[in-house]
This record gives sequence, structure tokens and C-alpha cells, in this order.
Amino acid sequence: MTTLLQTPPSRVADDELQPVRRLSGGRRVLGYLTLGVAAVVVLLPFYWMVMSSLKSNNDVFTVPVQWIATDPVWSNYLDIWSKSDMTTWLGNTVLLSAVVTLLQVFTGSFAAYGFAKVRFPGRDVLFLAYIGTLAVPWQSYMVPQFVMMSKLQLTDTLWAIVALQAFGALGVFLMKQFYETVPDELIDAARIDGMSEYGIYRRIMLPLSVPALASLTLITLVTTWNDYLGPLLYLRSPDLWTIQLGLKSFINQYNAEYALIMTGSVLSVLPILVIFLAGQRYFVEGIATTGLKG
Amino acid sequence: MKRSLAALSALLLALSASACGGDDAEESGPVTLTLAGWSLATTPEFKTLADGFRAAHPDIAVELKEYDAANYDTQMIADLAAGKAPDIYVQKNLKNFYTYQNGKQLLDVSDVAGKLGSGVGGLSSYQVDGKTWAIPYRQDSWVLFYNKALFDKAGVKHPDGSWTWDDYGTVAKELTTKLKAAGDKALGTYQHTWQSTSQGFALGQTAGADLQSGDFGFLKPYYEKALALQAAGAQVSFGDATTNSLTYQAQFGKQSAAMMPMGTWYIATLLSQQAKGDADTFEWGIAPAPQATKSTTGTSATPVTFADPTGLGINPKISESRIEAAKSFLAYAASADAAKALAGIGVTPADTATAVDTIFTLKGAPTDDLSKFTFTTHDTKPENPVSKYTAPLQNVLKDLHTAVLSGSKPIDAAITEAQDRAKNEVLSK
Amino acid sequence: MTTIADTRRRRGRVVARNTAVGWSFLLPNFAGFVILTMVPVALLFYYAFTEWDVFGGATWTGLENFRQLARDASFWTALRNTLYYAAFHIPLTLGVSLGLALLLNRRLRGVAFFRTVAFFPYITSIVAIAQIWNMLFSPGFGPVNEVLRWIGVDDPPGWTTSADASMPAVIVVGTWRYMGYYMLLFLAGLQTIPAQLYEAALVDGAGAWQRFRAVTLPGLRHTTFFITVLLTIESFKVLDLILVMTDGGPGQSTLVLSQYIFQKGFEENQFGYASAVSVVLFAICFVVTVVQFVVNKRRSA
Repeated sequence: MTTLLQTPPSRVADDELQPVRRLSGGRRVLGYLTLGVAAVVVLLPFYWMVMSSLKSNNDVFTVPVQWIATDPVWSNYLDIWSKSDMTTWLGNTVLLSAVVTLLQVFTGSFAAYGFAKVRFPGRDVLFLAYIGTLAVPWQSYMVPQFVMMSKLQLTDTLWAIVALQAFGALGVFLMKQFYETVPDELIDAARIDGMSEYGIYRRIMLPLSVPALASLTLITLVTTWNDYLGPLLYLRSPDLWTIQLGLKSFINQYNAEYALIMTGSVLSVLPILVIFLAGQRYFVEGIATTGLKG
Repeated sequence: MKRSLAALSALLLALSASACGGDDAEESGPVTLTLAGWSLATTPEFKTLADGFRAAHPDIAVELKEYDAANYDTQMIADLAAGKAPDIYVQKNLKNFYTYQNGKQLLDVSDVAGKLGSGVGGLSSYQVDGKTWAIPYRQDSWVLFYNKALFDKAGVKHPDGSWTWDDYGTVAKELTTKLKAAGDKALGTYQHTWQSTSQGFALGQTAGADLQSGDFGFLKPYYEKALALQAAGAQVSFGDATTNSLTYQAQFGKQSAAMMPMGTWYIATLLSQQAKGDADTFEWGIAPAPQATKSTTGTSATPVTFADPTGLGINPKISESRIEAAKSFLAYAASADAAKALAGIGVTPADTATAVDTIFTLKGAPTDDLSKFTFTTHDTKPENPVSKYTAPLQNVLKDLHTAVLSGSKPIDAAITEAQDRAKNEVLSK
Repeated sequence: MTTIADTRRRRGRVVARNTAVGWSFLLPNFAGFVILTMVPVALLFYYAFTEWDVFGGATWTGLENFRQLARDASFWTALRNTLYYAAFHIPLTLGVSLGLALLLNRRLRGVAFFRTVAFFPYITSIVAIAQIWNMLFSPGFGPVNEVLRWIGVDDPPGWTTSADASMPAVIVVGTWRYMGYYMLLFLAGLQTIPAQLYEAALVDGAGAWQRFRAVTLPGLRHTTFFITVLLTIESFKVLDLILVMTDGGPGQSTLVLSQYIFQKGFEENQFGYASAVSVVLFAICFVVTVVQFVVNKRRSA
């Protein structure tokens, strides 16, 4: 048992994940073609977003649709930096996303270990209460929550958003489900070896759960990045605004700068895109539970 | 674990400490009032009021607090509930005025109202139980915007203030046909997708119409006319307008429609869009909204139209020492000076007669007499008569609006359904 | 005799130790969770039995809100619409996202690109999404109906502008928006299945479908449970998509519970009543979740 724990996880290679028979050339082309067509349909809104970001405000919504910006207004991409506080919004959003994601991934995966691998009375009931709160629509308790936050002097500070997002039940739930796929034998073996529960969490569970941690990181990041209602309710001062809140400020009561909104939306998607592409390999990183065969 | 326990107790301590301590410290010296506003960067009216007031009262500073234009009331309700709202806040429409007034979130300002000039429109809407709870500073009203260039291109006579809805419908169709013949794709008119476009006029112009009666038969002729315009192709269909998120600013500003019933707030937007190039440059004018009957048409009568006033109210949590300053701000906002200052940025103040000379000298504004008549002479009924039932009834009627104009339900069936819902879900409470 | 007492004592000690250890893991998250979520939610349950205008004190009205709900036709419409949405959105999204995950769980050339594409709807601005789909569905000019007419459908539906077809349209867009999100979770789940199991199945001569049934599905049990619960809750709480696509219309054809709660609360200032609707929504989600939880427990036992 001791030795098996030290076996380095062997990466599952290429197609072994899901053994598929090699496709013939023609079918391969057909497959790529289908995927390509599907990709076009999926990317259509993004294409429209990019095109609209190159139009002037009153040309964005028209009948019939203009699919191509005939006279591209490239200056939108310069104007947005000079006309608005895009830099501040971006800074706040990056800061919030980083802090929230870090906290959520840490506290979530930590608590999940307690729920998944430590047996104690009341555990399942508590866990149900956790998931239960996911089922309550936020807009129905946002006022009591707002009053509490304001008593804690947190409203109109970035801490409000951190507090709001970092302790969610989602991360706990996700990590718990993932940990449960790790066989108990592995953990018992470690316990017999004298490893503490915290050691098991850090040295066995965390390395084994890279794909789940990566998914949780990305999901939390995107949620915080794109969150609108939370910042709307809690942040008033313009120097605290996030991107989503800032972009909505282009809509005033009697008019809206739709082209700039689309420009900002395109810009705000780019960082997530980069992170997603860079983080790809972690989502499909195989974990080796090979040792338990014997 | 220890650390998180410490953090927890610190949080609880903070909670109990802040629950007892308030910030009622009496300030001495210069007074600073806080005022709520929305989209401050693009909505100059709040700064105009603050600056104008400061000039007349150098010892009182006014600090603006920014809110979101679309979600103003959600944010304000949360702030009021948490006791964090500014001293003076805006009553954006009458629907939510009821929420604030009934929730005891407004200070009695009857003494301010008593000293106002008679030209201030919209005041009566803020009077409940014999007291006044807010002071209007702007009173828009719905009028008919028209594109003089497109009228001329089609060879159709400009509006003269004598139109009923039937006349308007005939002209809309005539314009569509003649513009098409002249090689222009513009349609005769554009009625925006809001429920008020049909319902506001119906409620304001029909004698005896009352939301709370639960009888919505008065809506029928207005919807029949709207549907007829769609069927004739004289106006973009409701389905196409909603699925393509059409904006009224683009429909009129980019000359896709020759006429458009809209509130006077659009004057400022149109002027600035024409100046910036977001809208085409063309000559336009405003005419009185079409009327239900001939009796209120013509420049010797007073045309009936609708719109909610926009007012200012005082947060009752304001410290004693600042109440007088806040009241003088309200009085200023409704004064002739403020009316002129607001008109200078294209805003329709509550006192339109004082402002007419200012607003029509703005660059790009129309100069004809009918536009001036339209701006100053109107009997403007509230869009949302103040009552407990107005907000839920408007929600019922919104469903009627989308069902009828999308063609999902015939008008008679929709009215019957709305009446049933009003009776069972709203008026029975 | 002593041994029994001993074991009992020892077991008692183990339980106490486990409880302490277990709680120490939970605490960092739990502390924040209790203050910021549990307490407001508990308050909400109290407000459900009151008449409350959000500013001042709430008046206790007992079960009055719930009695009113039973008679409120709009509430039932919203509930029916929510169930309609959930009944289609859950299986559709589950199927599509699992299919995508299986398809893209390979190291083929370009697969990273397609994975990114599948995730795109989830990160694209919801305004742009609503705009494009509404346009595609547009009754007069939309490509969807053009295709339908081309293949011989004489009277294609009005989609988001028709009372009958608006919900299907919203369901399609909902699935499209969330497929990448759940695909990501399925991808993470697929990594937990040992490759040896596939090898063994291959040796046994199992075909692709048999391997899927015998290896993939059981291996994904924990993930599938998690995703089903999340999907259920997400479907019952659907709001932003509805708001931007149809705003509940035409008529009440796409009015859902979350929107009804917002209407009753913030628009009509009946926060007590809105809380009561929330409690019902919560109860439905909770019952469904507990059933899923119990079924899952029994299956793993």
C-alpha cells in the first residue's frame, strides 16, 4: 500500500481516454465539417457582437439585420478607453475575480473534504442545508442580506462582492462530488500510514482533483467576471464599478450607447478566452487511480 | 480554525456595534446635502440643479450620489431599507412613488408646495391624505414628433394640431405609400413597444376611464387602431420591433419613420444626437398628440395627453439640522430659475411656460409656433394614477399589451382576461 | 465486558475526534456561509408569513399569503411555465452536454478550439445572445423561418412573438447557453474513470455502446448526480434569459416563478407575498433534490 501511494500518476495518453477507432479520411473530413458548421452557429452571437462594436449607436438595432458593418467605426475601440473608466472597471473586476476565485476554491475544496471523507453526525443534514440554499432565488433574500451587509459596513466596498461570492455552496458541492470518486481505500491506507486528515487533503486529494479544481476555478471566475446583479446592488461609487456595471452605465434613461456596450463586451470576453485556452490541459488531465488494481 | 473563529467573533462584534451606533452627529458650519441621481455622466440635469442651487445658496453644498438609470428603484429601495439613502431622492415615476410614500420613506413637504407658483405641473399627483410628499421639477408630456423633411418629400401637409387618432392613422398610411413612391423606405409612423404608447393615451383621453374600476373596455379603440396601422404596413410590426430590439431613438433619428408619438424628454436626446452625428440632420417639429375627439383639437383648445411628473422627495432619516436646507433645495428645483436652467439643457421642467423661450432657442430646435404651443399647452394626465393597485394593474395590462400586439390574442378576449385577473388577483386584496 | 465498554468509549472518542476534524474543514466556508446566506434565508422564511413592505416591520399574517397563492391564477401560470421549462431544459441540456463532453474528450487536432467554442455561449454577453436569437427567430425576417419555409412548412411559428412557440424558443436558447458549462463539469468527471476499465472492456470485446453503458455511465454517477441537481435548481430559478428574450411574454406565456417573485416584490412592493412564492419555489427544488440525493445514496450503497 505504501509503495502504491508513491507511484507517480501516469498520464493517460491520447485516445486511450475513450478508445476510438481511427476514422477514415473521408469521415474525418465530414466530422470536422459538422463540427465547423456547429461552431459557426454557436459563434454567431459573438460575431454579431464584434460587428456591432464597429457600428455607430443607431445602426446596431435595425430591420433587417446588417450582418456586416459597412463603414467600420474602429474608433469605438479607442473611445471606450477615453470616454469611460474602462481601466478602473477592468482593475476592479480582475481584483475581485482573483480574490473570490481563490477563496471559493480554497474554502470550497476544504469544506468538501469534510463532507466527503470525514464521518461525523449531522453531516448529511448540514450538506442538504447547503444545497438547499442554492434553491432560494437570490432576489428574494437580497434585501435582508443587503441590510446585514450594511450593518457590517460592507456595502459600497469591494469586500461586499467578495463576501457575497466567496462562500457559495456551489464549490463545496462540486468538490464533494469529485472527492467521492476517490476510493476510500486510498485514504484509509494513508491514515494507516499515519497521515493526518489535513495531510491527506493536501497531499492526496488536491493533486488528484486537478480537473475539478480547474473547472471550479473557471466557473467561479466567469461567474464573478460576468456578475451584474451583485455589483449593481452593492457598489455605488463609480471608482468601485466592475466591467459589467460600467458597461450598463452606457445606458441612461433616454438613450443608450449600444455600440460602446458591444465594444466593451468584446473586450471583456477576451481575458476569459485567454484563460480558457491556456487552462485547457488541466480540464482533461487524467488522474491515475491505477494503484488500486491489485 | 482559531483564526476563522476569531474572524467570526469579530464579524459578530462589528454587527452588534454598528447596530447601536448611528451617525446623528450634529454638524456645524456649512451644510452638505446628498442628492440621488442616475447616469451622472450623461444626465446633466442633476448637476444643473445642484450648481444652480449652489449659486443661490453658497453656504449649502450638494453632493451627488450615483445610481443606475434602469435599476434606480431597486437600488433605492435597498438603500432606504438599510438606512443608507441620500437626503434627497428622485421620484422617477408615480408607480414607485406609492411604494415610498406608503412605506413612510418620504417627509411631508406641504409647506414647500404651498409657496410654489401656479405654473408648476404635476404637483397634485404627489398629494396624498391632504399632504404633499414630493415636489415635481420636470413634467414631460407625450407629443407627436414629426420629420418635416419626410413630410415634404412625400408631399403631405404638416400636422396643424387638429388631428384625432383617425386623422393620424390616415396620414400615417398616406405617408407610407407616398414615401414608397418617392423611393424612400421610411414608414409613416413608429409607435414604440411600450404599453404606455397605447394605454397612456387611452387612460388619459377617455372620459371616465379608471384603472381601479377594473373595466378595461376603454383600451379597445386604441388597440384596434394600433393593429390597423401594423396591418397596413404603416408601422413596424410589434414582433419585428421586439425581436430586433428596435430603439425609438434610431427609428426617428435615422429617419426610418416620419412620425413618432413620444415624451418630450426625447427633445434633449434628439438635439444631442443630431449634434453628435448619431442621428441624421433633418428638420423636425412637435405637434400635439392626436386626440380622441375633435373637441380637444385645434390651437384654441387644450389637448389632452399623459406622462408622469418627475419629483424630488426628502428621506425622513435626514438629520434635523439639514431639513430646512433640503426643503429650500426642493423649492429651488421647482422655481422659475431652475426651470430656465433645465430648459437650457433641453429638459422639460415642471413649469413649461417659463421655459419655452429658452428651450426653443437651443441649436437645432424647431422654431415654429405649433411646436411652442405643443410644449406649453397640454392637459397632462398621470400615466400611473397614485394608488395601491396601480403597479399590479399595470403588470396585468402589460401582459394584455404584448398578447394583443403580437397577435397572440384577440383584443376582446385579452380584455376579458385582464379584467378577470384584475378582479381576482389585484382588486380583491 | 470491559472490551465492549472500551470499544464503545473508543468509538465515542473517534466520533468526537471526527466531528472536530470534520467541522474544522467546514468552518472557513461555513462561517461566511451562515452569516451571509443562512441568516437572510431564514429571515425570508419568516417574511413569507407576514405582510412586509421592505422598509418597516412586518405584520404577521400566518398562512394568509399561502391561501392567497392557492387562488392566484398568475402564480399557477408561472409555476406551470417553470415546470414546462424544467421538463425540457433538464434532459435536453444533460444529453447535449454529455454528448459534447464525450465528443471533445480526446486529444485530436483542433479539439481545444471546439471546446472553447462550446463554452463560448456561457461567457458571451447575454444582451448579444438575446439579440441574435430573437433575430434568428424573428417571424418576418428570421433565418429560422426562412429555412422552415424552404423545407415546406407553410405557416412557421412566430417563436418569441407567439404564445405557443415562445417557450420552446427559450428552451432551445437555454440549452444552447448552458451546454458548455455542463460539458466542462462532465469533462472533469470523465477524467476520474480509470483507463484500465476501458481496456478491460475492449479485451472482453465490448462495443462502443456497451462500453458507454458499462463503463462511462457508472463512472460518471457522482458527476451526473451533481449536474442533475444543479440543472434542476438552475431551471427552476431561470430568470435572466427570460427577461432579455421575452420578458415573460407575449401575454404570460413565458412568465416564470423567479420573475413573478421580482414583480411581486420590487415592482408591486408585496415583499411578504414574494417571499411566500420563494418558499414554494424553494420547497419544490428541495424535494426534488432530496429525492435525487436519496436515490443516489441508495444506488451507491
